[in-house]
Amino acid sequence: MSESSATNPIPAQAGIGLRMPHHGQVLATRPQAAWFEVHPENFMANDSALAELERVRENYPLSLHAVGLSLGSAGGVDRAHLERLRQLRCRLEPGLVSDHLSWSVHGGQYLPDLLPLPYSEEALDIVCRNVERVQQVLGTAILVENPSTYLRFAASVIPEAQFLAALARRTGCGVLFDVNNVYVSACNQSSDAGAVLADWCGALDPASVAEIHLAGHAVVQAATGEELRIDDHGDRICEAVWALYEQAIQHFGARPTLIEWDTRLPAFEVLQEQAARAQSFLDLNARRAPAYAATPGHRRLATHARAH
Amino acid sequence: MPAPINTLNGPSLAVLQSRMAAALLAADREAQDLPEDLFAGAHPGSVGLRVHRNTVLGALSNALRSSFKAVELLVGEAFFDRMAVAYARARPPEAPQLDDYGADFPSSIDGFPGTEALPYLAELARFEWQLDELGRQHAGRLAGARSLLIAGGVRLHFAASLRLHHANYPVDRLREAILAEDVEALAILVQQAGSYRYALWRAEAGVKLAPLGAAVAGFLEAVLLGQEAEQAINAAAALGEAQEIAGLLAKEILPAGFVRIEAASPGKKTE
Repeated sequence: MSESSATNPIPAQAGIGLRMPHHGQVLATRPQAAWFEVHPENFMANDSALAELERVRENYPLSLHAVGLSLGSAGGVDRAHLERLRQLRCRLEPGLVSDHLSWSVHGGQYLPDLLPLPYSEEALDIVCRNVERVQQVLGTAILVENPSTYLRFAASVIPEAQFLAALARRTGCGVLFDVNNVYVSACNQSSDAGAVLADWCGALDPASVAEIHLAGHAVVQAATGEELRIDDHGDRICEAVWALYEQAIQHFGARPTLIEWDTRLPAFEVLQEQAARAQSFLDLNARRAPAYAATPGHRRLATHARAH
Repeated sequence: MPAPINTLNGPSLAVLQSRMAAALLAADREAQDLPEDLFAGAHPGSVGLRVHRNTVLGALSNALRSSFKAVELLVGEAFFDRMAVAYARARPPEAPQLDDYGADFPSSIDGFPGTEALPYLAELARFEWQLDELGRQHAGRLAGARSLLIAGGVRLHFAASLRLHHANYPVDRLREAILAEDVEALAILVQQAGSYRYALWRAEAGVKLAPLGAAVAGFLEAVLLGQEAEQAINAAAALGEAQEIAGLLAKEILPAGFVRIEAASPGKKTE
């Protein structure tokens, strides 16, 4: 297990994605929340917000969920951004650090989205190299999340679940399993979401799954007439995703579960209500499967961190 | 060395990412799509690309919107999006911390087609960017404050965040009028082109502002450039009536929140 997670663990309970409009309320009232997760990029050029986050951190476990490492970039991980994340991690001592199985940087330009990868051997090698580089610099294992997808490349020859499982095996990284993303991607590819979830359960080592994400999404009609589900984190979690979540934790066991809500942000109490529902599932499955287990790779990295 | 070819003889990942990045930022409709044989999903690849393009450009527009609130209110949401998207396509960010994104947005909207009737628009944007940058600073963490020894051993300590801003319109009042949607005040203020100088700084309670006269602005500019008291006073004198400088400084600087006065300690030798 990583050094930070050993000292500041994220409990296998339902946490809440903390967004800036709620900082004031959280600081003033110290509401019930098992843990918080934030996007570190929102604190890299905003000292004022970072000072608030440090005060939040005094009272709650914290996870850093990055969106800008661009783990799938063929050009490698941006050194300056990685250094910013390293400094933030040292300052905040988060229990977990994560990012996505996607890319967003090319040629020095940052495109603020989780852009899809072709799941090819070439891409797997590149993502493995980038994840290893990140883990080396951060001195800890990271978690990598399955993204929502809106297109599929002809060059994808490895099923997504197997691609992420191979990444975890080869690099020692953990998996951040986003149930809503599984549902959105399955629907957008006209696949049966239950069958897709079963594929994920079959592919992933339960011990590698360290966190679960839940979120709402939008259903839109594309200009060409297709119905698309958009992972906009702008609504309550739908019943189909709750059902998949129950299946997921029955298989993987109780895991830290985050309620993500980014657009059309509601009152904090709505997030608490969604977290309470996730917690009720976690309570029912608390002893169903072994907890996230640090792999030898995790321990090696943690030792590396202490040595330096 | 040629780019590696993957298993299906498609482009290498580097080439694919290069093409996709270009397609997502392209303004030209024909350049926005990639060959459909790259894709094998349930929907055409162009549908998925459109989702990603909307996300990328929407996120960048929103990042700019949060920094330039009065600009958006003035021109309207749809027109602001046109300016933002044009800027995003021309100058996409270089890093993921989007709080930093938009420093040269004011320059890019200077003369933007359709803004001819708003000659103060870029000035307003420059002012908002200053406010936004300062607002992201943390008053308690700022280092490198400038201090100045003046007569009698008295030392002036200036806020580390202190910066000067010069505009050709009363941008502070313009912004207030726009945010208050006070059309009558706005109509009067836009007629008041001139030379306006401000001190801006970050205090615990937020970003503070003080309008300055030319002489005091000259004094502060010299201070921020690292000049000593005598040089700074000379700089101020060059911009105002020499005999009034001391009074101006006392009136405009000493009561301002950006300076702290440290009196000479009793018994301590004054310089």
